[in-house]
Amino acid sequence: MSQEIVLRTTNLGKRYKNRWAVEDVNLEIHRGDVFGFLGPNGAGKSTTIRMILSLIKPTTGSVELFGHRLETEREKALAKVAGIVEKPDFYLYLSAFRNMEIAGALTLGRAPGKKRIMDSMALVGLQDRADDRVKTYSHGMKQRLGIAQALLCNPDLIVLDEPTNGLDPQGMKEVRELIAQLSHEHGITVFLSSHLLNEVEQVATRMAIINKGKLVVQGSVEELLLSRAKRIILNVEPQKKALAVLKKLKRVENPTLDSTGIIANVETKDIPDVVVRLVAAKCRVFSVKPQRSLEEYFLSVTEVE
Amino acid sequence: MFNLIYYELFKTYAKWRTYIGFIAVAVIIPLVMWGMKVEGGRFIQYQMRTLQNDFFITGNLFNGWIIAQLIMNSLWVHVPFLISLVAGDQLAGEATAGTFRLILIRPVSRTSILNSKYVTTLLYTVSLVCAIAALSVGLGLLIFGSGDLLAIDRDMLAILPEAQLWSRFALAYGLAILAMWVVASLAFLFSSFVENAIGPIIATMAVVIGLLIISNLPVESFESVKPYLFTTYQNVWQQAFKNPIDWGNIGKSSSVLVSYSIGFWLVTLFVFRRKDILS
Repeated sequence: MSQEIVLRTTNLGKRYKNRWAVEDVNLEIHRGDVFGFLGPNGAGKSTTIRMILSLIKPTTGSVELFGHRLETEREKALAKVAGIVEKPDFYLYLSAFRNMEIAGALTLGRAPGKKRIMDSMALVGLQDRADDRVKTYSHGMKQRLGIAQALLCNPDLIVLDEPTNGLDPQGMKEVRELIAQLSHEHGITVFLSSHLLNEVEQVATRMAIINKGKLVVQGSVEELLLSRAKRIILNVEPQKKALAVLKKLKRVENPTLDSTGIIANVETKDIPDVVVRLVAAKCRVFSVKPQRSLEEYFLSVTEVE
Repeated sequence: MFNLIYYELFKTYAKWRTYIGFIAVAVIIPLVMWGMKVEGGRFIQYQMRTLQNDFFITGNLFNGWIIAQLIMNSLWVHVPFLISLVAGDQLAGEATAGTFRLILIRPVSRTSILNSKYVTTLLYTVSLVCAIAALSVGLGLLIFGSGDLLAIDRDMLAILPEAQLWSRFALAYGLAILAMWVVASLAFLFSSFVENAIGPIIATMAVVIGLLIISNLPVESFESVKPYLFTTYQNVWQQAFKNPIDWGNIGKSSSVLVSYSIGFWLVTLFVFRRKDILS
């Protein structure tokens, strides 16, 4: 059974004078995904997100949210969507509660109840500061308030653009945990843009990489990382004998002993042969794990581009 | 829509800059009245000196009504400045603060958001003109008392009976609102182009002052363009003190002012609906 697509962009593009900031981006985000949207600075991530949230008019293509075209059915398309673009900004001269009330009223068409607002603020630990003006908030508190206002109207899709920007390590960890919680406990689809690869690797189930305005790759994080896997960790005994066998094999590059096992560079297609050779040499192979970090993968696909 | 207007009003009146106009009015009007009180009837005697040779004038002509009418002359430049402070901030202020990113990703059309801001701007304009009216007429009558109004015009001098003055002043302030509506709409339009509120304020005042000069200078080459400038019709409120009232002139001037306001609003709508939010 095919999964419901909550966000689809078709040939999405934005041109500024003679330069295409984003060109022919086709994305599909399924319900329940934590979708990592990666790209180097200036790759077109924010422009894409702004087009998805109707802040920027696309030059070409379209955005569809929950089956509704943003261009023609804006109100329906955005009804169950929340987002934070770059950094959450508020009316600094108003209290956090009033800011929440305004954001809620614009989404719901009426003022959200006090309980609803306070519940959302409690979720990010700001319930005791609800009556304080936002100008007295620290950057981290504003970031948390941004997440609270995004959650206020029970969205089905949350678009987060660099949500951990400017946060300390503890704040970043809290945001990551919150994203995982939103996805697992509340079933909310999360579209997460970031240049922090570690962040995406930890929380995302699917991802896309954009570079120089063009989509380079899109798919499940696991599959994408495995698809170009080369570096493997071998758990094999006896290690010294195995290392000697591997060093003789032409298809095995740079085998070295590590605290985790033997690490070597082997093409995926050659792994079965390597295992056969080790077994033939009376080595006991317990496991062969592809080791591929998102960072390596990201650099490999963006540098090729 | 009412919901949107409510929150726009809330945001506007929670800002310090919104009260600058009211504070300025609350300081300047009593100051002018204090000056008039100190000066006594010297001003009115100056206006009347040629008439007193031919007429025997009785009663109190130096009264609250004439003071209120004098204060209305501030509508030329000072009040437009106060209005552009708020109108110029309506859209540019959101861009500066980055709060467009908060409100324009909601399931509300840009047209509705723009209209709620425009209505708020008009309500502010109305409230400021009403504050001027209440303060200048109220304080004027309280300090200088009531009486007939000496209406001085370029080619005539009329004494308007006290009984007509409430309705004439109501008409004058109503027409003043129309004149200020154009200024508010112009500042609102400029506000949609930029991301800093200072620009729209300066641009509005530059346009208003520039066009006022063209409208009022007796230069032959300007005569052909004068009918097309909104500033030519901004003194329409003075028609309320003509005797008899020239309703045709009021109708024509009002139509031009309303047309300009609607035109500015339509251009703003066009710009805002297509605007990319990059801030």
